[in-house]
Amino acid sequence: MKYMLTLFGPEGGMEDASPEEMKAEMDGWAAFSQETVDKGAFVAGEGLQPSSTATTVRIPGDGGERSVTDGPFAESKEQLGGFYLLECKDLDEALEWAKRIPLRAGAIEVRPVMVFDTP
Amino acid sequence: MKYLYTFYAEERVMESGSEEQMSDALARWSAFDREATDAGVMIACEPLQPSGTATTIHRDANGVRTTTDGPFAESKEQLAGFCLLDCKSDEDALEWASKIPIQLNAWIELRAVLDLSQYGYESATLTPAAA
Repeated sequence: MKYMLTLFGPEGGMEDASPEEMKAEMDGWAAFSQETVDKGAFVAGEGLQPSSTATTVRIPGDGGERSVTDGPFAESKEQLGGFYLLECKDLDEALEWAKRIPLRAGAIEVRPVMVFDTP
Repeated sequence: MKYLYTFYAEERVMESGSEEQMSDALARWSAFDREATDAGVMIACEPLQPSGTATTIHRDANGVRTTTDGPFAESKEQLAGFCLLDCKSDEDALEWASKIPIQLNAWIELRAVLDLSQYGYESATLTPAAA
């Protein structure tokens, strides 16, 4: 079963980081990603550019025209910052991975993907 | 450049569809999937189970972790699914957004992923060309 781990947190905070601090931060993420790859769990995973770069497409439910606005869907303090899509045997395994994600502060939402019985 | 598309919608609306609407939606999604795959842009695209199945792990600034049932945001609109596509440009990415076959009242947020090569790292996600 695949699980989507969405990472939310306050944006920024690394602007004043020294190159060494930046490297330590990045090494932590790279090590985590590599371990999910080595254990066969990794399907996809990315950090996202800041929410100020987001574009949102509004789809009216009545079949009307779509409209496009700059900015993220939700103007909240904590923004989507990245995700991992992992293949896990159950929720417990997904949560074990989630607990080890080197997110400094914020939240990780873990949710199974939907599986359809298609012919 | 990879772009993440996250879909937000009211779950009440998603669950109220008839069987026929559901099979129409599945047919549209598989056509989109085929088109994006044939064009070499498709990396991943998954609908998610309802937010009631979510578990959220919070970590505060002191590193204290708490685990709660339920989604991150208790809002009317919930994350319903996502696509990760490999597009040529922002314009191309927006063009693909317009093809995502959602017909319900919904929002699609799209955002480019971080380019890790500036830090000397490489994303582990396989692009269609490399896969």
